[in-house]
Amino acid sequence: MRKLLLLLSFMTLSISAAPSLDYKVQNFQGELLSLSEFKGKVVYLDFWASWCGPCRKSFPWMNAMHQKYQQQGLAIVAINLDEDKALAETFLSKIPADFHIRFDPQADVASKFDLQGMPSSYIFNRQGELVQTHLGFFEEKSAGYENEIVELLKE
Amino acid sequence: MNRTIISIAIAVSLSACSSLGVEPWEKDQLARADMALDSEKLDLALDDHIYFSKEGSSGGRSLAGGGCGCN
Amino acid sequence: MQLKNRSNISKALAIASCSLLGHSAQASANTEKPDDWKVDAAIMYYGEEDRVQAVEAIGNVQKAFGDESLLDMKLVVDSLTGASASGAVAQSETQTFTRPSGNGQYETASGETPLDDTFQDTRVQASANWAETLSPVWKTNVGVNGSKEFDYFSLGLNGGVERSFNKDNTTLALSGAYTFDSIDPVGGRPVAFSSMALRADYDTEEEYRTAFDMTRMAGSEDKKTMDMMLSVTQVLSRRWLFQANYGLSSVSGYMTDPYKILSQVNDTGTTQSYLYENRPDSRLKHSFYMMTKGALDAGVIDFSYRYTTDDWDLNSHTLETHYRYYFSGRFYGQVHLRYYQQQAANFYRPFLMAGEPLPEYASADYRIGDMTTYTLGLKFGQRLSGGHEMSYRLEYYQQNPENSGFDLVGQLQDHDLFPEVKAIIAQVSYSF
Repeated sequence: MRKLLLLLSFMTLSISAAPSLDYKVQNFQGELLSLSEFKGKVVYLDFWASWCGPCRKSFPWMNAMHQKYQQQGLAIVAINLDEDKALAETFLSKIPADFHIRFDPQADVASKFDLQGMPSSYIFNRQGELVQTHLGFFEEKSAGYENEIVELLKE
Repeated sequence: MNRTIISIAIAVSLSACSSLGVEPWEKDQLARADMALDSEKLDLALDDHIYFSKEGSSGGRSLAGGGCGCN
Repeated sequence: MQLKNRSNISKALAIASCSLLGHSAQASANTEKPDDWKVDAAIMYYGEEDRVQAVEAIGNVQKAFGDESLLDMKLVVDSLTGASASGAVAQSETQTFTRPSGNGQYETASGETPLDDTFQDTRVQASANWAETLSPVWKTNVGVNGSKEFDYFSLGLNGGVERSFNKDNTTLALSGAYTFDSIDPVGGRPVAFSSMALRADYDTEEEYRTAFDMTRMAGSEDKKTMDMMLSVTQVLSRRWLFQANYGLSSVSGYMTDPYKILSQVNDTGTTQSYLYENRPDSRLKHSFYMMTKGALDAGVIDFSYRYTTDDWDLNSHTLETHYRYYFSGRFYGQVHLRYYQQQAANFYRPFLMAGEPLPEYASADYRIGDMTTYTLGLKFGQRLSGGHEMSYRLEYYQQNPENSGFDLVGQLQDHDLFPEVKAIIAQVSYSF
């Protein structure tokens, strides 16, 4: 009976699990906040961790995007997946971020998004719909990522 | 109806835990530099050279795979 | 920063982690220094008691181009001096041997293992490899390598593809290599099984020279090697990795060692002549390798096993382990243990019997005889500022050749025909 319930819960998990802004993540103080607070803006959601090399390169780029497009309605939200928040804080002390940082230490939201690799970024339009997914961060592709943001900001 | 739900559930759960491994965000330990398969590549190369010269067989190792799986 | 407990160490290690394509970097946000260069250098000394000594220096440079490409270049210079066993057996009398060039000779005292100390050679090897990430699941690499020493030249090409599955938990890799070697031995390659011309046997220098030249062939010899490897790397858990490989290697061409000989003895074990060895001109090898590597809170451990077999009937087993322990986030000690056991090639014989017909192939090179070897090593490493690391290791390597079932006739029983070879390996490395 327990096995059946387990199987059924897996099934329902996979049906309801999908990238969206309706999940809650922690802020620096540990308070749970829903990502829907960013609805109305173009949201660039990025899942990162202190041990992820390409994440180090993505932060300066995300800072640049924040500088350029924040006024036009771009919200960059970087969700940290380190089990230990202290590691994230050490990372941020060396590579500071001007954009929003959130925490998902139990990876609840990451599971719902069904991440395929690190880092992963998800771009939502102003209506809160998922329009683009990126696996990994590549310097060579950053111009392309920027174009996608610019297009969405025009809406 | 119950049977359909159960068979779908089994199929989905099988695909969910179909093989060994960890989630992408659980690769912190494997991302360590000392866990890379080529972490001591000079030592390995020097060793391979010694044993190739002094023994009758050689080879075996590959440096692919492992790591944080990033990018 | 005082690191008091194990989990602090593992966290410190987690931060110093991979960046691109498996090469490590430290976060250095405040400096302009690009972390897309990585340099590793090492210098190693290998010394056998009373025998071969070698010094080897390696420099390896990696340069990342963007996030999808990596260039890896390596330069190795090594220098060899000292004596190695020629394959002749010890005798109760002094023995005299002709040098490979034919110019001059060397002597071995009674009861000693004959060692040829003619070799003083320097080798230079260079290689370049390009790795490219084609997609989230495909990677490829191509490389070229070459080496040159006084009597030897080698040129090779290698390539491979990697495909990852299941969110990078499983990686399948297929690689291949083709190598072309050319050997131009000192004095010309010897005629197989010809008898070594000894100056003492001839009245005049010309007669000796004529006899010597009859044992030599001019020109170089080639050897071609084709290698293929199939590798599966699997993440077992958050801390454990596993890898299993199958390798196939096909070699054809000149595989005889032009400097090795066999003693042809009579039934009192007394040497009648020295014959130059002869090995087959093809070899098909299989290797099966498995390893597991684990991330511990304050260390790393790995275990591996390799089995090889080939059509020379030389089979081997290798068991190896490394255990690293971090005394602090910056200083570690590592133990290395290796056990190797091989079974003689089917044409290996420690000596030949005069009067018996010559076999098709024969070699007395202990390196293809029955042998067990042991390695015990200790390494220490320290992380310096700016992501630099320095390490030093000391290893003891002992080779124990064994009699694979030959009857030792006459005076051969009075000598140790399978002496142990003891070696020390010392190495210092630096990376940044």
